[in-house]
Amino acid sequence: MPAAYAQYWRINLLTMLEYRANFAMWFVFTVVYHAVALGALYVTMRQFPSMNGWTFREMFFLYALWMSGHELHNAVFFQIVSVPEFVREGQFDRFLVRPLDALFQILIVPQQLLPDGLVLAIVTLCVAVPFAGLKVTPLVVLFIALIVCGGALIDLGISLAVATVSFWFVRVDTLRWAVMSLEQDFTRYPISIYARGVRVVLAFVLPFAFMNYFPATFLLQKQETGLGLNPIVGLLTPAIGLAWFGVSYAFWGAGLRRYQGTGS
Amino acid sequence: MTPYWEFAKKAFAREATYRFEVFTNVGSLILRVYLLRCLWTALYAQNAAPLNLPLHAMITYATVALLMSLVLEIDGTRLIREKLHDGSIATDLMKPIDLPLYFFSDGMGRTLLYAVLVIPTLLCALLLVRIDVPSPHVLAAFALSFALAYCVNFVLNFCMNAVAFWTLETFAIQLIVRWVSDLLSGQIIPLTLFPGIAGRVLFALPFAAIYSTPLLLYVGIIPQSQWASAFAVQIIWLLAFGAIATLLWRAASRRIVVQGG
Repeated sequence: MPAAYAQYWRINLLTMLEYRANFAMWFVFTVVYHAVALGALYVTMRQFPSMNGWTFREMFFLYALWMSGHELHNAVFFQIVSVPEFVREGQFDRFLVRPLDALFQILIVPQQLLPDGLVLAIVTLCVAVPFAGLKVTPLVVLFIALIVCGGALIDLGISLAVATVSFWFVRVDTLRWAVMSLEQDFTRYPISIYARGVRVVLAFVLPFAFMNYFPATFLLQKQETGLGLNPIVGLLTPAIGLAWFGVSYAFWGAGLRRYQGTGS
Repeated sequence: MTPYWEFAKKAFAREATYRFEVFTNVGSLILRVYLLRCLWTALYAQNAAPLNLPLHAMITYATVALLMSLVLEIDGTRLIREKLHDGSIATDLMKPIDLPLYFFSDGMGRTLLYAVLVIPTLLCALLLVRIDVPSPHVLAAFALSFALAYCVNFVLNFCMNAVAFWTLETFAIQLIVRWVSDLLSGQIIPLTLFPGIAGRVLFALPFAAIYSTPLLLYVGIIPQSQWASAFAVQIIWLLAFGAIATLLWRAASRRIVVQGG
């Protein structure tokens, strides 16, 4: 499996060199996507400098942390979004008859996917850390790396769950799009701005708050005012990510057992 | 006109079969209404309010903007791109119909479905937020401005999709323009919040004619004395992009390259 995976990245990078114009366009696309979000945040917070005690600099870090987890997920696990298409077109059945894990096979379908977003996210994070006044120590770097990996797993759990839904409902593109953009919107702000029920959902049901809010609260040494938890819970992100992925993978497994194909 | 009416009806029916998608769109819009209510309420509670935009006006602005997006985010001319990709545009050009008008009626049909959905969506949103209802003549001015905004948006989309005749791939460019225009058109935040020169530049761009003008009319930031000039600017943009769209279409239909098919 590791050899197949290395081969997959080799093909990916070679494709990238082949389609440089395409790569440039998608890079602009990624830049614009995040620049619009940050631009809107900047303009808003120029007028309203405090968001439940968070400044723009802290909010920027909050965003960068989410962005890194999300873009790591996009770089490594993005093919999962093709599952509905594979199911619709009947290609999915091919994965089931080969002697390798179906999910792993999907992750290594070559698709001209480039880690442009991840590169951009790392750059953003490198700007955001000193911008938010965070001291860079080896321990902080290690924490952030672990949190980003945990965040990517949380994202993976969601996209795997959405992909599994496509075994029953064939057209889930809109659902995927809605979930992704709602995730981006709801993780942009400290959870204390929401009603209590929504805070609980974001912390424990769909644990997006662990992608950025809890870790940022801990790293920036802020009070956790959303649920009154000890900020140290921010360090649980990798564990939450693993657990959440586990649940989602079980759902995927159940879906696979019931999968009947579309007959196409 | 009959065939075009039929095209619109067909598009409406086609779109209505994807019930799951329709519910997802409406559901995520409602969640976003909730998000914006929380956001603005928190921001207004801890900071000084901007001069002419109290909290209730801001929440009204945000909610109406989202409802407008239900209609405006529909890319009425997506069909051009799709037909270029599968090559069916070649046979369509031979049919005795006016293709741009066909695209318009198809877009209208799909848009109408979402226009109908505005009502239940509004009712759901009203469970979460209270929005200001201005006097009837302001509402009428808003309706007119919104209709103009729809047309400006349509011709802008038409131009972008028509570019596919040359590049064959416009999806990424289109998404980029969509996101930029969400910010620059005042859909996400009112353009009045942008500082100094940036603000003035934004009001001079065509994007402002899509969301900002109807919305600022609605919340009363554009007073009655300036309505005429607001409409005039929208009409100028409509005519300008309408002219560009016509030129693009003429040039495009002369050079068709079908991609495989």
